[in-house]
Amino acid sequence: MEERIVKFISALRAAGVRVSLAESADAFRAIDELGVQDREVFRLSLLSTLVKDASSIPIFEELFPLFFGTSGVPPLLNLSDDLSPEEAKMISQALQQFKEQIRQMMERLMRGEQLSQEEMERLGKFVGLNQADDLRYREWMTQRLQKALRFPEIRQALHELAEMLSQMGMDKQRVEQFERLMQSNQQALEDQLRQFAGQKIAENLSQQPPDEGVDALLNRPFSSLSDSDMQRLRKEVQRLSAVLRTRVALRQKRAKGGQLDAKATIRANLKHGNVPIEVKHKERTQKPKLVVICDVSTSMRSCSELMLSLLYALQDQISKTYAFVFIDHIEYVSPDFEGKDAREAVHGVLERMPSGYYNTDLGNSLENFTRNHLDTVDSRTTFLLVGDGRNNYNDPRIDLFKTLTRRCRRAIWLNPETPALWGTGDSDMLKYAPDCDVILKTGTLAELTVAVDRLLAQH
Amino acid sequence: MTSTRSFASPQALKNGLSEQQYIANDEIATIMYLSQQLGKPLLTEGPAGVGKTELAKAIAGATGREFIRLQCYDGLDETKALYEWEYAKQLLYTQLLRDKLQETLSSTTTLTEAADRLAHEEDVFFSMRFLLQRPLLKAILSELPTVLLIDEIDRADAEFEAFLLEVLSDFQVSVPELGTLSAVHRPLVILTSNNTRELSEALKRRCLYIFIDYPSIEQEMAVVRLKVPELSAKMARQAVELVQSLRSMDLRKSPSISETLDWAKALVAINAKSLDVKTMETTLSVLLKHESDLQRARRWLQRPSPGSGPGDGEDSRLTRWRN
Repeated sequence: MEERIVKFISALRAAGVRVSLAESADAFRAIDELGVQDREVFRLSLLSTLVKDASSIPIFEELFPLFFGTSGVPPLLNLSDDLSPEEAKMISQALQQFKEQIRQMMERLMRGEQLSQEEMERLGKFVGLNQADDLRYREWMTQRLQKALRFPEIRQALHELAEMLSQMGMDKQRVEQFERLMQSNQQALEDQLRQFAGQKIAENLSQQPPDEGVDALLNRPFSSLSDSDMQRLRKEVQRLSAVLRTRVALRQKRAKGGQLDAKATIRANLKHGNVPIEVKHKERTQKPKLVVICDVSTSMRSCSELMLSLLYALQDQISKTYAFVFIDHIEYVSPDFEGKDAREAVHGVLERMPSGYYNTDLGNSLENFTRNHLDTVDSRTTFLLVGDGRNNYNDPRIDLFKTLTRRCRRAIWLNPETPALWGTGDSDMLKYAPDCDVILKTGTLAELTVAVDRLLAQH
Repeated sequence: MTSTRSFASPQALKNGLSEQQYIANDEIATIMYLSQQLGKPLLTEGPAGVGKTELAKAIAGATGREFIRLQCYDGLDETKALYEWEYAKQLLYTQLLRDKLQETLSSTTTLTEAADRLAHEEDVFFSMRFLLQRPLLKAILSELPTVLLIDEIDRADAEFEAFLLEVLSDFQVSVPELGTLSAVHRPLVILTSNNTRELSEALKRRCLYIFIDYPSIEQEMAVVRLKVPELSAKMARQAVELVQSLRSMDLRKSPSISETLDWAKALVAINAKSLDVKTMETTLSVLLKHESDLQRARRWLQRPSPGSGPGDGEDSRLTRWRN
């Protein structure tokens, strides 16, 4: 049992729930306390000790029955016993019409035989179930298993069989009954497959090495990230933003020593006979106002996405953000983020600008920007550009960039490329560089986090 | 005060809670029991008004422990949550005791000696007498076992959360002038959060977690029947069904249990005989607190044909409360 629980915990971790060692120890203490006899109490013991986040509850609820299932495959009914000899004859005659493989499966359904573990293992190997390690693939895998057993054809064939039987003169009610029972047997097999697929995936999950190398991923360049790496980094962004928020909040707290607030101090110290024991300060608003322009061309996409996710996860620390993205022209995307999960929003924005061949053109985008959105940049704004400065030999429009950087309080450029590559090929980075106050290299998520931290700090 | 008790099983705890007029489901009872047995704080999360705070009060009542509440808000710090020296009182005492002080110091000859003697008497001014105990310290120092409710922890800032971690892990506090004070009885701690911001991993790790959602029709019925027994069973049923379907609408603020109760009381107060449109019109503002929500609900109620409910298949209910 204990081993099973440990496996369950590592599957939870692999599915993206953060479970610490202390929490798994708590789970065992809870089980010592309440035992495992009552399944519901057992479930609650695990739930309350392992899951600390409402959004992780569905993952728990899906995995729990797979590990501690009642393993109740609905019983299949054996139909062949019930048939009268004539009926059996008619059926076997009718079955001759079908192909070998389908006939075998139909006979099997009639006998009400479950799939054996070996058979399922074999099927699983055939459809690639052993590689699946995400519960979202469960339904898809179930469907593939069904297809491997030719279930769609069998459903059709069952219908034909019923028609044939009634043509051959079998009692109508009996035919209907027969068809219904066959269908329910098939349904039971489907359930068995679904359960098997789930269990197998859960098993794979629990064997995954626990969260190795998120730290390594943090330091991997954006250009060499795979899709699954991105998936994990997106999760990591949530955690990083929580860390950043704590830091920023602390800093603002400490920075509160602004001007002396004479009125408030006098009021507060009336009770001490106006001896200024408590000194009150005016609060300084420290929150920056941001205008962000992100390059979302294919090469820059992951960097920009993570940057926007980070920024929007930290919205409460920023007084106002205007977000823009561009490839060949500029788009205002702030409304996409309102009241939405940052990840979803970024996804939605990217959908509006599908990948494919685009001519990255910052010059044109800057012109769009100055024409339509110049009012967003004022003397309190931090102007932030996320891009690699590669302009496809288009006019960089340095003049516009100069106007913008003069208007704003600070201009920061985040570039994932190393300085050595600036100015090579179609890169206009060196031309833009003199007008930026700060240029930070953000080739990895770790660097990006540091950059955001600095952005919020030095305001 | 009656003697305190702890419960031997989740079921006993559930019964204890229901004696306090709190209807707990098995989930709440089991996890609350675990929290008591493991001595771990319980973090409750869920929409506003589902009875998170009420749970803490009920458990205090059921166990016979003293109830101490710390309401969190933006800018809450140690002086408000833990302790503070009562400067004004110290000042007043020094004023009043001036003569006595002079008498004590009069026999000294040098300044150093006087300072030494004064230092010797320092304890008088930094003693428990002048320590203003805030909720956390009160819970720790209380002679009797307590229930400590830390309400809406998500409203306090991250710094306070970090400070709270220290207190929650070993229930002791160090006051520089007095030394370390540790808990006489370990309090039962309940934290509530409306999830307006993500709490830190470290805090979550130290707590047991429960998500309390809106109750089912049956549970809510039971609550209404218990708290507002004057309302007839039929009316209560209709009211609860209406509230439940309002929750399925896309509203700015869904009605909570406490609002259902308010509404039930309002219905009793205006002596409503049935839930007709007119009654609804006049009392709906008890349930919904946003003008746009109200208008939406009114439009939905006034739909002539029971053809389309707000969510899935509410139409049968529509006809039921319209006579």
